[in-house]
Amino acid sequence: MAVLEEPIKEVKVLKNFIGGEWIESKGQLVDVVNPATCKVIAKVPISTEEELNAAVEAAKEAFPIWRRTPPLARARYLFRLKELLEEHFEEISRIQTMEHGKTIDESRGETRRGIENVEVATGIPSLMMGYNLEDIATGIDEYVIRQPVGIFGIIGPFNFPFMIPLWSAPYAVATGNCVIIKPSSEVPISQQKLAELVDEAGFPPGVWNVVHGGRTVVSAMLDHPDIAGIAFVGSTPTAKDVIYKRCGETGKRVIAQGGAANFIVVMPDCSVQRTIASLMTSFFGNTGQRCLAGQTLIVVGEDDNFYKRFIERVVDAASQITIGYGLDESVQMGPLRDEEKKKRVIKYIEMAEEEGARILLDGRKSLRIKGDYPETCFLGPTIFEGVTPDMRVVQEEIFGPTMGVMRARDLDEAIEICNENPYQNAQCIFTSSGKSAREFRYRIRSGNVGINIGIAAPMAFFPFSGSGESFFGVLHTQGQEAIRFFTESKVVIERWF
Amino acid sequence: MGNLRTASELITFVKELEARSAEIYKGLAERYRQWNDLFLSFVKENEKHVAEVERAYFGVITDAIEGGFAFNLDPEQYKLGVEPLKCESLAESLNHVIEMERKIQSCYSDAAEQSKLLMADVPQVFALIAKRREKRIRKLELLPERRKGG
Repeated sequence: MAVLEEPIKEVKVLKNFIGGEWIESKGQLVDVVNPATCKVIAKVPISTEEELNAAVEAAKEAFPIWRRTPPLARARYLFRLKELLEEHFEEISRIQTMEHGKTIDESRGETRRGIENVEVATGIPSLMMGYNLEDIATGIDEYVIRQPVGIFGIIGPFNFPFMIPLWSAPYAVATGNCVIIKPSSEVPISQQKLAELVDEAGFPPGVWNVVHGGRTVVSAMLDHPDIAGIAFVGSTPTAKDVIYKRCGETGKRVIAQGGAANFIVVMPDCSVQRTIASLMTSFFGNTGQRCLAGQTLIVVGEDDNFYKRFIERVVDAASQITIGYGLDESVQMGPLRDEEKKKRVIKYIEMAEEEGARILLDGRKSLRIKGDYPETCFLGPTIFEGVTPDMRVVQEEIFGPTMGVMRARDLDEAIEICNENPYQNAQCIFTSSGKSAREFRYRIRSGNVGINIGIAAPMAFFPFSGSGESFFGVLHTQGQEAIRFFTESKVVIERWF
Repeated sequence: MGNLRTASELITFVKELEARSAEIYKGLAERYRQWNDLFLSFVKENEKHVAEVERAYFGVITDAIEGGFAFNLDPEQYKLGVEPLKCESLAESLNHVIEMERKIQSCYSDAAEQSKLLMADVPQVFALIAKRREKRIRKLELLPERRKGG
């Protein structure tokens, strides 16, 4: 299979999209590097506080008219955007592969999931409806109206550059708010493309703004009195100690999604072949850089033969994963986003060894890259067994293509291990027993639960949940919870004399 | 060429199979005018297959399904053999076309079986196309030229 054509042909300097205009930033420019080829593919500005302030001003100007625009009319802008996203589906997907390194299947999956949020938000006339009750006392009626709040800041992570801002932005604008998106400066190109399509769809100036940058822009967003709320996805330290804390201090609404260290529990009665395919996706898909990825595998039961045979098959499957540039259709795993992230994962592998785990597959040594690409950001799948719940490789988020393996006597013990972990983002079980699945679902502490699903990723019409150290806030992104987050419930009690 | 393992490369592969077989039917339709309608209906059906496969793949692919790990097919097994358009007679061409159809059918069936329960709508579409292929094979087998052997 040939390598698909790259959609980015020249190195462009990205611009901010403020008030419907493409504005060159005065900030310093930083290279955006394709992690597979190590070539520079764009230059992104690290925008200034003044530029963020300009975006807020543009949004403030747009808000009064946009909020008065009938929901059905607002939905039509989203319908147009959805059409444009479908037209540019492949281009957007390939851009993600170039900026992030993920495989083309993964990028297309991300594009689809992003578009689904736009689709759900087009239902805003129904989704935004309030509710009422006649005669709360004789002759007196009471009802709830949902109204937009104002301006929201949306801060995207590097691992899903296109999709994650779409967990929030379509709902925010559909409900009549204006948004300022700050994409990750490591992977800003797909958000630039999205903004171009927003522009083409004809959204009024100032409704949808993009300000590229880093900490300066984030700090300015957090401190700006005219920004009503923040939707953030990133690491737990930032989500908890910076975003959540600062939003509390400044009185902003907040969705702060953090990291994870997820468990996958495998029961001896699972469908082995399909479970292994799911495990490959869960642990090594997106090169392990996702908050729903499996990090620790718990094999349940005292049958040594089952354990041995199962793990042999897992190691065999992982060792056959084709690694390379994601635009090569045969590639199953791409590079890590950058060299620093690779070094961080390697540190955790070394830590696992130091803590007494036994390496079964060593991605540092067995790395074979398909094609002529520099090794800089590539790391092979790594599996180590004999991990224990107290080890740092179980307790902390690794965010790379690793699988720690441990055993549990029975399901009770497996659930206990999972529930002791501070992160509660996604826990999954593979079993053919309804009883075990039900028990797991009922007792597990986790925002998202997978039953014979390795990546428990909620669809756009369900909230992207999370709890414990994985989520800080009350309402989540996506679906009805996003509608509630982006609106104020106004209660009216009415009597006529 | 290694085995086909990702959804993306499999989709590309079946699209190539459909395109190649459509070219063959177009050639046969030109040469054997008496079966023009039948062969061109296959061309049209091939286009429909490509659209259906793409709709299923691009419609349901998400990061939560096993798009990168659902298949393991050896493309050599499904390589189309002798060029049916180079044959002297229609009967001979039909034999090769039927052989080609069986290979395409088994590609779809194998892909459907491997990805069952992993790729949502995609294996269903593959299975549906495999069934249509079976019907097409029966139609080809019943053509009088093939039965007469001339």
